[in-house]
Amino acid sequence: MPGDKETVYNRIAVLRAERGVSRRDLAQSLGVHYQTIGYLERGEYSPSLHLALRIAEFFEVPVEVVFSLAPFPRLGSTG
Amino acid sequence: MRRLADRWARTQEKSLEEDRLRSWHRTRTRRRVTVAAGALGLAMPWAGTVVSWHLAPSDTAMYWTIGLFIGYVVIVVPVYGALNIATRGTTSLAEDRLDERQVADRLRAYTIAHRTMLMLLVVLVVVVLGVEGDRGTFIPMAAIVTGVVALFSTHLALPVLVAGWRLPDPPPDDEDDLDDPDDLDER
Repeated sequence: MPGDKETVYNRIAVLRAERGVSRRDLAQSLGVHYQTIGYLERGEYSPSLHLALRIAEFFEVPVEVVFSLAPFPRLGSTG
Repeated sequence: MRRLADRWARTQEKSLEEDRLRSWHRTRTRRRVTVAAGALGLAMPWAGTVVSWHLAPSDTAMYWTIGLFIGYVVIVVPVYGALNIATRGTTSLAEDRLDERQVADRLRAYTIAHRTMLMLLVVLVVVVLGVEGDRGTFIPMAAIVTGVVALFSTHLALPVLVAGWRLPDPPPDDEDDLDDPDDLDER
């Protein structure tokens, strides 16, 4: 819809920290520039479906664990 | 031949990852100042065209045009290099060397540059048609040549200027770089 900001939230930074993977390593595995990972984490770039699926595949989780249209609950928050 | 092209692309890619002229493109404000300097540099061959149009053929026109062209080269070459490094070759590398974000940025930069160039051409046509004269009006060859150079250089440089202007501040490098003992020494 014009005017709507198409925000896609993601948990790449959390998953990356949890698995101890650096931005450069993740970028190299996905074949993208390492700055692209940073832009993704900051929410300044929304990936294509193909890249989103490959990111989920890299972390071995379903895509909805990594990406969401609604903000993810903060760690430790209830509900 | 293919191997040579591949090698050249890799060298180009590697050189774009080196942070040369960092102070020129470290922050968005600095990048925009660099873009403004580039625009000023690009204005020089256009100024040379106007000078040649009015004064050529004469020594004054020649000296001014050459001087402005040297000014253009001195400003635009480092600006072009700095912005290319800042954008990591978004507008200069082959498309198969870029990822999807970079390709999208490149397309936006080319679209804006194309529109800007189109507006510039419209202005140029209006200005040229507005010049008083008839079929016998003399137009110095120097003005035509300088004008063509100005058109080419503007067309070539606009995408990287647009990409440099639009570029948000890149995310800081992550823990990889903190692990590098050489980097730690510098902090």
